[in-house]
Amino acid sequence: MKRYEKRMIVAVFVIGLVFGLAQGLVVPVRAAEQIVVCNWGGRDSDLEKEAFYDPFEKDTGIKVIITSPPLVGKIKAQIDSGNIEWDLILTDIPSIMTLTEEGKVYLEEIDYSQIDAKLLAQIIPETKRKYSIAGRIYSFNICYNTKTLKKLPKTYADFWDAKNFPGARSLNNSLGGIFPQLEAALMADGVPMNKLYPLDVERAWKSMDRVKPIITKWYKSHGEVVQMLVKGEVDMAVTIGPMVISEKWLGAPVAAGFVEQKLAADNWCILKGTKNKANAYKLMHYVLDAKRQGKFSSEAPYGPSNMEASKYIDPKLAVDINTAPENYKTSYWQDVKWWAEVGSDGKSHRERSIERMNKWLMQ
Amino acid sequence: MCFVSEGLENLDIIRLRLHTVVEKLSGNPIYLILPLILYMSFFYVYPLVRMLGMSLFSPQFTLQYYREFIETGIYLQSLYITLKISTLVTILCLLIGYPLAYYLSGLPPHKANVLLTFVLVPLWTSILVRTYAWIMILGRNGILNQTFMKLGLIDEPVMVIYNIVGVCIGMTHVMMPFMVLSLYSVMTGIDRDLLKAAQNLGARPLETFRRIFLPLSMPGIFAGSVLVFIISVGFFVTPALLGGRKDVMISMIIEQAVSVFLDWGFACATAFILLFLILAIFLISGKMIGFEKLWGRRA
Repeated sequence: MKRYEKRMIVAVFVIGLVFGLAQGLVVPVRAAEQIVVCNWGGRDSDLEKEAFYDPFEKDTGIKVIITSPPLVGKIKAQIDSGNIEWDLILTDIPSIMTLTEEGKVYLEEIDYSQIDAKLLAQIIPETKRKYSIAGRIYSFNICYNTKTLKKLPKTYADFWDAKNFPGARSLNNSLGGIFPQLEAALMADGVPMNKLYPLDVERAWKSMDRVKPIITKWYKSHGEVVQMLVKGEVDMAVTIGPMVISEKWLGAPVAAGFVEQKLAADNWCILKGTKNKANAYKLMHYVLDAKRQGKFSSEAPYGPSNMEASKYIDPKLAVDINTAPENYKTSYWQDVKWWAEVGSDGKSHRERSIERMNKWLMQ
Repeated sequence: MCFVSEGLENLDIIRLRLHTVVEKLSGNPIYLILPLILYMSFFYVYPLVRMLGMSLFSPQFTLQYYREFIETGIYLQSLYITLKISTLVTILCLLIGYPLAYYLSGLPPHKANVLLTFVLVPLWTSILVRTYAWIMILGRNGILNQTFMKLGLIDEPVMVIYNIVGVCIGMTHVMMPFMVLSLYSVMTGIDRDLLKAAQNLGARPLETFRRIFLPLSMPGIFAGSVLVFIISVGFFVTPALLGGRKDVMISMIIEQAVSVFLDWGFACATAFILLFLILAIFLISGKMIGFEKLWGRRA
């Protein structure tokens, strides 16, 4: 081999090595003026973008990068490794419980002094919590396919009654971390809605035993069961009402009932250790704004967390929203405090119920 | 790096040194696989060791996760269901895949390639799409049931989904390409003259198949079965969507431990129990059939 050929080979090796090492040493640089939001994706995410993120970008120039879903495992991995990619997340109470009660705390405490006081006063009081503030209200409803189902169930007692209300049913299983529907089981057994908590757990599981044989499919994720309802694979299910109403507004033959509906909040949280806190609080002023929430709820039928937002919703659409006055009368709030209560075995009611449901489903 | 240009002597020394290094490297084969060893050590062995550490230390040494797995009834039950479903899927793939591969291996290459493409195309489709397609076909309100009901053959929908039947159908469909390819690659290597020779010596077709072709195709059967079995054991999406409440595969248990309970120690312990179980099955079944036969060497 000639002299210059050898030199070329060595040079290529060295350049390759240096380049390779340099890649590993470069710390991922984030543009100063951007914020990463993690939500549930799908159509709701597009509607959020229209109502909140695009105006925010236009007014402040800060770019909003959307990603999904807010997987708890991913958040743990990010914070444990120090490589935090997300700033603000929109997630539900079960996830927040996992992120704050399983030993290590992965969320920042909300600094309420950073949010405009007048705006704060408009937010539903119970949803302003230590690690989260509600962005919207979702609900667990009795949902059904109006084409395949002749007799529509109204209450959970109806849902539990296969003889008078025939049809294929679906309930959530424990694998996805969704709460076992113990409240529904108790109401089906005759417990009045306002006397649910503290839950009589043994009575609830006895009631669940009665519904076990008539469930056709136990679903792991809400997306799965909503599609099954739309296609008529199941005739009725207990799942997130707003997701089903969303399909209804798009023309699918489905509907949700608002009697005995369980209300809960989708919340905004800040990941612990993110360097983008200032921008996060700026974005919060947009996602909590009454007019913007009104616009969002007119497209995605979630209840707004801002009590003034109902002024901005078309009354014809408002009847389908879970927090509308008529619907609110027959609803109850999920008692998050009870579910988070830790017992003598060091486990919360939620953990214990999920573990019990694991066993219960396998028998 | 600077290129020494002063004095021809320095250049000669460098050239000589480079020569000896290159000769030493190409002399011993270990240097050729060194890059692969480094890659595997860093990206495979090291994470595996860390996971083993997570399952045994919390942070003191503890066997609690392994104990929890064995003592709580449902995890062993889930392991049993996982092995049961994986075995069923492997057998189904073998029963359907073997005749298919046999036929394909007898075809001229250009015809075989076209048909092989049909076998491979499902592999390139997203598994979620394929699973949802099965829901559309097998579902209560699916094509199969609607057709049968319209033809008046049945009054109520047949439940071939949301139970072990649906899971097996879906998983067999997904695993089939692996089995067919493994069998096909071995079968094309079997000398057809041997079969002709056997028949010349008086063997009937069935006997020829049983005594000549089948043993020679054993390496393919073993490779295909092992591949299908091991992938099936880790399956996740298809059993979750097509299965019933009891069809809980061990991968779903691990996922719940990781995402819902954030109990990574338990998740790692479960993963390692699974790993050792699979290794044990592999070694025992290999020993029973005889490793030499499986690798295709003469006993």
